[in-house]
Amino acid sequence: MKSGIVGFGILASLIAASVVIPIYAPYDVVRQWSSVEYWLENPRWAAPEWVTIFTGKNEPRTTVFDPSSFRYVIVRDTIVDQNGREVNLTFITATRRFLWTYDNFPSEISLYIKAFFPGNTSTEPGSSPLVSISLRRPDNQTVQLLGRAVPGPEFNRTTTYHLSSSTGAAESVFGNIRKWVTQEGVLPSDVVAEADILPHVALFARNDTAQLNPARSAHLLQGQYELRIEYVGFSLNDTLEPRARLYGTVFGLMGTDERRRDLLTGVLWGAPIAMAFGSAAAIVVVLSQTILGALSGWYRGPVDEAIQRFADLYLIIPVLPILIIIALLYRPSIVAILFVVVAFGIVGSTTKVVRSIVLQIREEQFIEAAQSYGASRIRILFRYILPRVMPYTFALVALNVPIYIFLEASLSFLGLGDPTLPTWGSIIGQAYTGSALTYGFWWWVAFPTLGIVYTAVGFALVGYAFDKVINPRLREE
Amino acid sequence: MAILDIRHLRYYYRTRRGAVKAVDDVSFSIDSGKTLALVGESGCGKTSTATAILRLLPRNVETYEGQVLIDGQDVMAYDADEFRRKVRWRGISMVFQGAMNALSPTARCGLQVAEPLMVHYDVEKEEAIEAARAELKSVGLPDYVAERYPHELSGGMKQRVVIAMALIMKPRLVILDEPTSALDVMTQANIINLLKRLLHETGLAYLFITHDLGLASELANDVAIMYAGRIAEIGPATDVYRSPQHPYTQKLIQSVPLLRSEIAPEFIPGAPPDLTNPPLGCRFHPRCPYAFEPCGWSSSEFASILGEEVPPAGAEKIHISHVAKFGTKDPWTLVASPSGETNVSALASELRDLAARWRASVPFLRAIDDIREGDGRVIVKLHQGRSPELIGRDSHRAACWLLQDGGTTVGE
Repeated sequence: MKSGIVGFGILASLIAASVVIPIYAPYDVVRQWSSVEYWLENPRWAAPEWVTIFTGKNEPRTTVFDPSSFRYVIVRDTIVDQNGREVNLTFITATRRFLWTYDNFPSEISLYIKAFFPGNTSTEPGSSPLVSISLRRPDNQTVQLLGRAVPGPEFNRTTTYHLSSSTGAAESVFGNIRKWVTQEGVLPSDVVAEADILPHVALFARNDTAQLNPARSAHLLQGQYELRIEYVGFSLNDTLEPRARLYGTVFGLMGTDERRRDLLTGVLWGAPIAMAFGSAAAIVVVLSQTILGALSGWYRGPVDEAIQRFADLYLIIPVLPILIIIALLYRPSIVAILFVVVAFGIVGSTTKVVRSIVLQIREEQFIEAAQSYGASRIRILFRYILPRVMPYTFALVALNVPIYIFLEASLSFLGLGDPTLPTWGSIIGQAYTGSALTYGFWWWVAFPTLGIVYTAVGFALVGYAFDKVINPRLREE
Repeated sequence: MAILDIRHLRYYYRTRRGAVKAVDDVSFSIDSGKTLALVGESGCGKTSTATAILRLLPRNVETYEGQVLIDGQDVMAYDADEFRRKVRWRGISMVFQGAMNALSPTARCGLQVAEPLMVHYDVEKEEAIEAARAELKSVGLPDYVAERYPHELSGGMKQRVVIAMALIMKPRLVILDEPTSALDVMTQANIINLLKRLLHETGLAYLFITHDLGLASELANDVAIMYAGRIAEIGPATDVYRSPQHPYTQKLIQSVPLLRSEIAPEFIPGAPPDLTNPPLGCRFHPRCPYAFEPCGWSSSEFASILGEEVPPAGAEKIHISHVAKFGTKDPWTLVASPSGETNVSALASELRDLAARWRASVPFLRAIDDIREGDGRVIVKLHQGRSPELIGRDSHRAACWLLQDGGTTVGE
C-alpha cells in the first residue's frame, strides 16, 4: 500500500506541475517552441545553473548590455571639406565598461548595431556611416574588432555581429583577432587559421600561447573590459543603438539545448502533454476493449466469435511500425497520432481478459435473478456486469498509461512525433541527433528521460496498488 | 381456483451424453394462500422445475413442453416478450437459492429491490426506490438498509432483501428455492415466520423448494416428494408426514434425525440415478427395499447387478459358477451363455435355484418371470415393468406399484 501512496504522490506532483507550468511558461511559449528568434537571448548548450554548486566555479551567466547601459559621447557638427562642400557629421562614441569576474569564458558574443541615418544613400561613395568596434582589455590591450561602413542602403538598419560565427557580418572580426594576436607576437601568423579562432575565448584569454585554444585550455583574463563603438554618420540627426550580449555557460534549472531553448519549459510542458496523451489513449483503449470484451462474454455466439477473431488479429498487428509509416507519410499532429493509437487498440488483450471475467460473472445468481424479473440483456450488461469489471479496468488504465507515453516518446524520438510540441521523446530525439552525450550535454538527455521514468513509475505504482485492492491474493499482510 | 397449475411438464437438457431428463412429466397445482413444498434430494429436478415454470431456460434445452397455467391461463403459449411482461415478477417471482449471491455486489439494496419496478413500469428511480423502502419495511428491515450495499448486511438481512425484491411487484406466486439453506437455525426460523406472515397478509401462494423435511413441515400445506425428475408422492402435509405411501418418502422421513430417540436415522443405499438414462419402470426401484415384480428391473440392470462383486441391499454375495457371460436381448430379456464344460440345463437349474432361494431377501430376483433353455443358452424373462401412475385416495397420491391393488400401504 505504501507503493500506492508513493504512486499517488507522483501523480499528484505531475498534475500540480501541469497546473503550474502555464504560469511559468504560458502556452504562447510552447507555440514558439520551434521558433529561433524567441529563444535568442538564451545561451546555447548551457548547463543547469546549479551545477556551479558542485563545481565550485563561478560560471558566467548571460550578460546583456542594453542601449541604455552604454555611455555616449555625441558630437554633431557641420564642416566644410576641401572641396568647399558643407558636410554634416555626427560622431557617436558608445562605451560600456564591465567587470569579468566569472571563472569561465562566455560561450558566445553577439553585437547588434542599430543605426538610423536619414537622407543618405549608398550611391554616394563614402556617405554610408562608418562603424568601428573595439575592446579594451584589463591588460590594457585594445583589440580592434571592426572598422567598416554599415552595409546596405536602408535608412534604418540593424546589423548583427555574431562574433562567434565565422560567417556574415562578423567575418572580418576573425582576421582582426588574428592580426592582433600575431602582432603581439605570442603566436606566429602561419599557425593561426582563421577558422580556429573562437572570439569569445580569444578576447577574454590571457595573452599567451594558449590564447587561441578552446575554452577549456585557454587562460582566462579577469578584470575590467571596455567595449567601445565609434560611429560616424553623415547627417545631423543620426542615432545609434548598440546592444551586446555575452552568453553564459549556465542557464536555468535544466539548461538549454542546441537551439537555446529553455529545457525546463520543455520538460515541464512535456508532463501535461505526456499525461494527456497517455491518459486519453489508455482510457479510451481500455474502455473500448472492456466493453467489447463484456459484449463478447455476455452475448456469446457470433458476436463473441467476431470480436474474438478481430482481437486475435489486432494482437498480432505490430502498432509501432504501422505508426512509423503513417507518421512518415502524413506528419500527423499529436491528436491525429492519438486517433491512430486508439484505432489500433479498440480490441486487444483486455478484450480477452474481460471476456473471461464476464464468462464467470454471467453464471452468478444475481444475473439469473435479474433475468428472471425480466431485465433486458443490455440492461444486465450495463447495470450488473460492467460495474463488476470496472475496478479491474481502473488498474488496467493506470498500467496502460506508461505504455502509451512510451509509444509517443518512441515516435517523437524517431522524429516522427508532433514537431510543434515539446514532448519528452522529441527532446531526447533532438539530443540524440545533436550528439548530446558525445559532447557531454548530459542535462539535455537526463531531464526528459527522468520525466518519462517518473511518470511511468507513478502510473505503474498506482496500477499495482489498484491491482492489490482488487485482487486480494496480492494484498500485503 | 388454482393459481398455478402445472400439467405434464417436461424439461430436458441436452448434453454430450444425451438428454438429462431433469423434469419428466411433473404435474401439480397450488391454490391461493397455500404453500406447496417440493422436497427431494439434490439433483432430483426441484430447481429445474422452478426455472422451467419461470422459463429461465439455458441454451442447451432439448425438450420443454407441457402446460403451465397461471389463473387458468396457459402461459406456455406466450412468446418471450409477452412472457417477460406478463409472467415474470407480475405472475410469478422467485427467491433464489443462496441469498449471498442473489444480490449484485455493486448496487445499493434499495435500488436492487426497486429494479423489477423500473424494468416493468415506466417509473422514476426515486419513486421506485420509495416503493422499495416500503417493501423492505414490510419484510422487517430497518430504513437504512436501502442505502446499504449487500456486503454490509448479514445473511438473514440479505435474505429479507431478496424476499422484498420478490414481493415488490405483488406477484401471485413466489417460488422459494431453498430460501434458508445458507442460514443458521435462528435466522431460518425468523425467515420462515416472516414468510408465514407475508402469506397471511397477502393473497400469495408459495412454491417452497427444499431438501429439508422439517422446514417443509413448518410452512407447507401440501408436500410433493420428488425423485429423479418425477413426483413420487404428493398430498396434504399431515398425510404425507403421518402416513407416507411411497417407500422413498418413508425412507426420507426415517432419515431425519430425532432428538432423544433410540431409532438411528436411516439412509438410503445407493445413489440417485443418472438422469440421462433413468431406470425403466419405477425410478426408485434399484434402491427400493420393497421392489417386486412390476417395479421394472431391466435386463441390463440385472446383468450388471449379477456381475457385481458386491451384491445390493443386504444380500450375501451371489455367485453363479456356470455362467460365461450375460447378454441382453431386449429390456426385459436376459441371455446367459454357459461356460465351457457345463451345459445349458445345469446353468438353468442353478439360476432357478438361486431365484428360489434368494427371492425373499434380494428384491431384484423377484423380477424373474421365467427361466427357459434354448439355442444353447438360458433365456431369463423378466417381469415387464412400467412407470407407476400417481394414485391414491383423494388428494394424497403416490406413484408406487405397491399401492396398485386396492391401495394398501406398505407398512400395513
